Amino acid sequence: MGKEKNQAGKALNLLRSRLCDPNFIFKPLSDSPETNYSKLKFIISSSIKEACNNSILLLGPRGSGKVSVLELVLGDLLQEHLDQISVIRLNGLLHSDDNCAFKEIARQLCVEHQLLFSKMASFDDNSQFMIAMLQECGLAHKTIIFVLDEFDLFAQGKQRLLYSLLDAMQSVTSQAVVIGVSCRLDADQLLEKRVRSRFSHRKLLFLPPSKEDLERLLEHVLSLPLDSTFSHGYALDFNEKFKSILRDKRFEEVIDTYLNSSSTVSQLLRFLFCAVSFMDVESEFLSLENFKTALLTIQRQPKLECVKDCSILELYLLVCMKRLEVKEQNSYNFNSVMKEYKSVHDTFQTCDYYSRNVCLRAFEHLLQRELICFSDNRGTGQSLEFRPVKLLISPVELYQGLKSYRSCPAILLKLMDR
Amino acid sequence: GHHLTQIRGGIFPAKTLSPKIPNPTFLSLNPISLLPLQNPKLIHSPLQGKTKKSMADTTPRKLKQSLKPNPMPKNSHLSLSPGTPLQPLTPCPVRRSTRLNSASISVDLTTPQKPIEYIEKSVIYNTPKATKIEVAPTKTPTRKREKESQLYTADVTFSPVLTPDQSEFKKRKGEGERRIATRANAKNGKKRVYYKKVVYDGGEFEVGDDVYVKRREDSSSDNEDPEVEECRVCFKVGESVMIECDDCLNGFHLKCLKPPLKAVPEGDWICGFCEARKLGKVVELPQPPEGKKLVRTLREKLLSSDLWAVHIESLWKEVDGTYWFRGQWYLIPEETAAGRQPHNLKRELYLTNDFADIEMESILRHCFVTSPKDFSKANNGGDDVFLCEYKYDIMWHSFKRLADIDNAEEENEDSDSDDEDWNTPKNADSGTDEDMEYEEENATNSKSRPPSANELAANSRKGRFFGLHKIGTKKIPEHVRCHKQTELEKAKATLLLATLPKSQPCRNREMDEITAFIKGAICDDQCLGRCLYIHGVPGTGKTMSVLAVMRSLRSEVDSGRTKPYCFVEVNGLKLASPENIYRVIYEALTGHRVNWKKALHLLNERFSDGKKIGKDDDKPCILLIDELDLLVTRNQSVLYNILDWPTKPYSKLIVIGIANTMDLPEKLLPRISSRLGIQRLCFGPYNHQQLQEIISCRLKGIDAFEKQAIEFASRKVAAISGDARRALEICRRAAEIADYRLKKLTITPNSASAVKGLVGMAEVEAAIQEMFQAPHIQVMKSCSKLSKIFLTAMVHELYKTGMGETTFEKLAVTVSCFCASNGETFPGWDTLLKVGCKLGECRIILCESGARHRLQKLQLNFPSDDVAFALKDSKEIPWLAKYL
Repeated sequence: MGKEKNQAGKALNLLRSRLCDPNFIFKPLSDSPETNYSKLKFIISSSIKEACNNSILLLGPRGSGKVSVLELVLGDLLQEHLDQISVIRLNGLLHSDDNCAFKEIARQLCVEHQLLFSKMASFDDNSQFMIAMLQECGLAHKTIIFVLDEFDLFAQGKQRLLYSLLDAMQSVTSQAVVIGVSCRLDADQLLEKRVRSRFSHRKLLFLPPSKEDLERLLEHVLSLPLDSTFSHGYALDFNEKFKSILRDKRFEEVIDTYLNSSSTVSQLLRFLFCAVSFMDVESEFLSLENFKTALLTIQRQPKLECVKDCSILELYLLVCMKRLEVKEQNSYNFNSVMKEYKSVHDTFQTCDYYSRNVCLRAFEHLLQRELICFSDNRGTGQSLEFRPVKLLISPVELYQGLKSYRSCPAILLKLMDR
Repeated sequence: GHHLTQIRGGIFPAKTLSPKIPNPTFLSLNPISLLPLQNPKLIHSPLQGKTKKSMADTTPRKLKQSLKPNPMPKNSHLSLSPGTPLQPLTPCPVRRSTRLNSASISVDLTTPQKPIEYIEKSVIYNTPKATKIEVAPTKTPTRKREKESQLYTADVTFSPVLTPDQSEFKKRKGEGERRIATRANAKNGKKRVYYKKVVYDGGEFEVGDDVYVKRREDSSSDNEDPEVEECRVCFKVGESVMIECDDCLNGFHLKCLKPPLKAVPEGDWICGFCEARKLGKVVELPQPPEGKKLVRTLREKLLSSDLWAVHIESLWKEVDGTYWFRGQWYLIPEETAAGRQPHNLKRELYLTNDFADIEMESILRHCFVTSPKDFSKANNGGDDVFLCEYKYDIMWHSFKRLADIDNAEEENEDSDSDDEDWNTPKNADSGTDEDMEYEEENATNSKSRPPSANELAANSRKGRFFGLHKIGTKKIPEHVRCHKQTELEKAKATLLLATLPKSQPCRNREMDEITAFIKGAICDDQCLGRCLYIHGVPGTGKTMSVLAVMRSLRSEVDSGRTKPYCFVEVNGLKLASPENIYRVIYEALTGHRVNWKKALHLLNERFSDGKKIGKDDDKPCILLIDELDLLVTRNQSVLYNILDWPTKPYSKLIVIGIANTMDLPEKLLPRISSRLGIQRLCFGPYNHQQLQEIISCRLKGIDAFEKQAIEFASRKVAAISGDARRALEICRRAAEIADYRLKKLTITPNSASAVKGLVGMAEVEAAIQEMFQAPHIQVMKSCSKLSKIFLTAMVHELYKTGMGETTFEKLAVTVSCFCASNGETFPGWDTLLKVGCKLGECRIILCESGARHRLQKLQLNFPSDDVAFALKDSKEIPWLAKYL
């Protein structure tokens, strides 16, 4: 029994480590010639072999595996052409400033080639150094691969970095590949026209996987290997159970609900990780329940949950604001809300009436929860009561929230309707 | 006569030691300490170099036996002399017609590989008997070949008298001691005289020539120097035509072959012996007749490490009247760390970064080391033609391609100016001579220093970079040499933007205009400074044309038809700030680095006040400023200063500005536009015929493209931008797609062009799609279900209200209506918000941050028709169509 439990733990660890390893996920997708993997590999390896320059854009929504596939390709190429490649990695979030980008390039080039790097070097020094290195490496049959993550951020300002890089690539005998990675589909339109003219416009589009691919991926990731890692019987049982889950209609529903909103690979992996973590080590196998719980934990409705956590007074304030909006009073502040609150109290003689100070604190609390917000940034010096605010929750959601509230006063629901 | 023997590593046989030292001589082993002498500038003769070491020292000094290869000198790109004649200098029969240009597959690796540490190098010289010294201040473009060959035959008869007691082996104690001596000697007024060309012992040797030198002074075989190789079958030297086997390099008479050949065949030819050997048979070469020794040619001796080949760097006469030269060694592949590699050609040599000073006596005769391009042309070049494509770093054991001659020349020029820069203060103040010397050494040569504790940073030292010599491959990758390019690969290579086309079509008128402008500005005695503004959209050949004009002008200067000038090229986008341009210009003109304020002051002095300091300062100066619009500052002072100089009477400055916008001068202050806008040149976008011509001009002789495909690409580009770069890139991409299809896809192609491996319309179409089309439609088609509904709702809102902008609240209501009426479950507002934000990230829609929730403003980033097109036939949710 103890051994069995141990096996379940081991299986859990294996599945989790698989889900976190992009190589494992994307490797089986790399065989066919139609995949981005083989296209990208062909472009880069042909620039290595034929000594030419290229610039490529990898486009696609976040989480579609752009960087993972790129890393897979680079890893393979580094193995094939040992010390003929040096990879320089930059990220738009860190190096969008030209000066800083050149410095980083020089630093990484120095590290790659065991040269001494000086922090004090000026912009000119670094840019000339880069060009000199491009030339030298070209003569030594070495390819420099520049990976520019968040490429769109490099396209801000004067675009000196891109211009120098691409201009050097068309004038010096160099071997370089510039790979831009971006989730903006219009990234190449952001380039200035003289930069765009020098860019060679290879584009690879990363799309969310199709349904069949997803099914294959599921099976690939969540089945245990039938080698000696696990006892044969356990692995067979595990896989059999999992297959039966896969065939289950209810499982399909769960997965579909999730994929309806987010269909990229990384989103799916996150979901699976969550589901696998819910696996009961005692019962030793994955169950449908795991996936259902995972769906609930991963698809949250934060606004509704916020409403659930509100006090009765805060709900009153929200309802009052909603009523003001219905009355086409577009701009309101704490004072006008208080007026409405008072009038509601007067008409319906509610039992919950709080003093103005208490109400103000509730109002502040609502601001902090981001259920309401200031309608503009002007008048920051003004005191809180006079600044116009806006409701950040739609009437429909508010109504839903009130209905699911534990002990919502009936009067509030009535007020919502009127 | 006296002998001097140098040993590089290893143990020299004791028998060669001799107690008698006829004449004290000195042979340098340490190139670094000698390098100041080797400044390329000094080569230009007759220049009186300062003697840094005296040869007239009376006490015999011992030569050091160094166990390691020396720390290697400057790693600049030493080009092969472009003027090296390829014709045989001796009257020998035509041996062969073709040289093997592709690597032979089977290589016999039987030649013992000698690590460089144990190679002994001997240098021998006899009493100098220089007959005539020709001082050539300018390089004579053509050499008198007949005379030379006569002289050459005289040289053949020379054979040094070698007796063991004349040879001398010296040991040098240490580097440090020697350097001290050097410095001390530098103070004596003795001078070396440098020459550009020396006629020595009947041979004429010029800087940049390649020669054979003796390796061992006692090997008697050095004495025999057969000019003509003997046939391997009949062992006679006849006047009839001989053919060379491309494998074993042996020569055969055509008539001695079995069966005899009538003419030299095209392509590679391999002799019957080698063929048989390849088949695994034991082959016995015909033995020479009794009593006749097989005579080896110099080439054979070189390739079996019995001789050396050296590239002459500089020539000089020592104080004692002996003639010396500084040489750069060549290595045969067997002597490198990597050994002979399968792709090495039989006649391949490597240029090393190892230098030595050698007495002229040890020269045997000329050999001809050529670049691969020249090598393939030199089919009848005789036996002494070799190929050198790579440079070998003996310190790091790494290979690097030799830079093109063009680049090398530029670099030499750069170092010229650097040297002047260093020399100026030296002459002014001789007291600090040593320091300066040391500094200079440091500055020019530390690239090649071995790593030490105080290694210099690679990226910052006054624009010089250190440690670049470290870059090099340990082994030349096989695919570079052995791979035979397919037509498609050739096409890809020639379509590359970096490839300089042989001719630049379609811009003749503009180039003529630029030439006329520059010549007009230079050739006047006055040299009126002028400005030219060139504008045009990107990729229309503006910079390329100007550079092409400058190249042709430079060749005119070289041939003396035009006055010399200096040319400075600045790119506005590569400057850190507009003001930096002063610094860059000043550095380019003088080689000094100062800050921009000082540079502005000095440039003002030079151009406005007409103060000329250096000797080059009265040359006209052409300043090319690319991307001129980047120099516009708020008060436009940078542009004003630069454009004001040419109007000054003695400035001799010509400014050529390049930018994209046509109306840049009009946008500037009137005082600038009046200076800039007078002469303008417009580069219009290329039309489709021109683009077609540009592409087909590059693709001449390569059968890779269908004609319509090129036309299609050029028409498309001409309609959009007229950018030649785009057109070339489209074609290259199309070739790449075709190549990919050939190599990776196994599906049988259906069209006729695809079968032939030609690039057809389909590939060009695909390339154009990729370049010009945003991929949003594909993304919309494959995005998640909710995203599709979201987009449909956006379009629906747009139709309903007629307003492009909507808020998330309205949209969510629409989506919930959609879901309710079509039996979908509404996922909840927060999920929907997330979906919207993801679409916003891809820029399919434009949206505010998600924190705004229901107030978030949304707008489609693409036409609604695109969305309708993408989603209309969605199989997953067919009901979308009715809202679109």
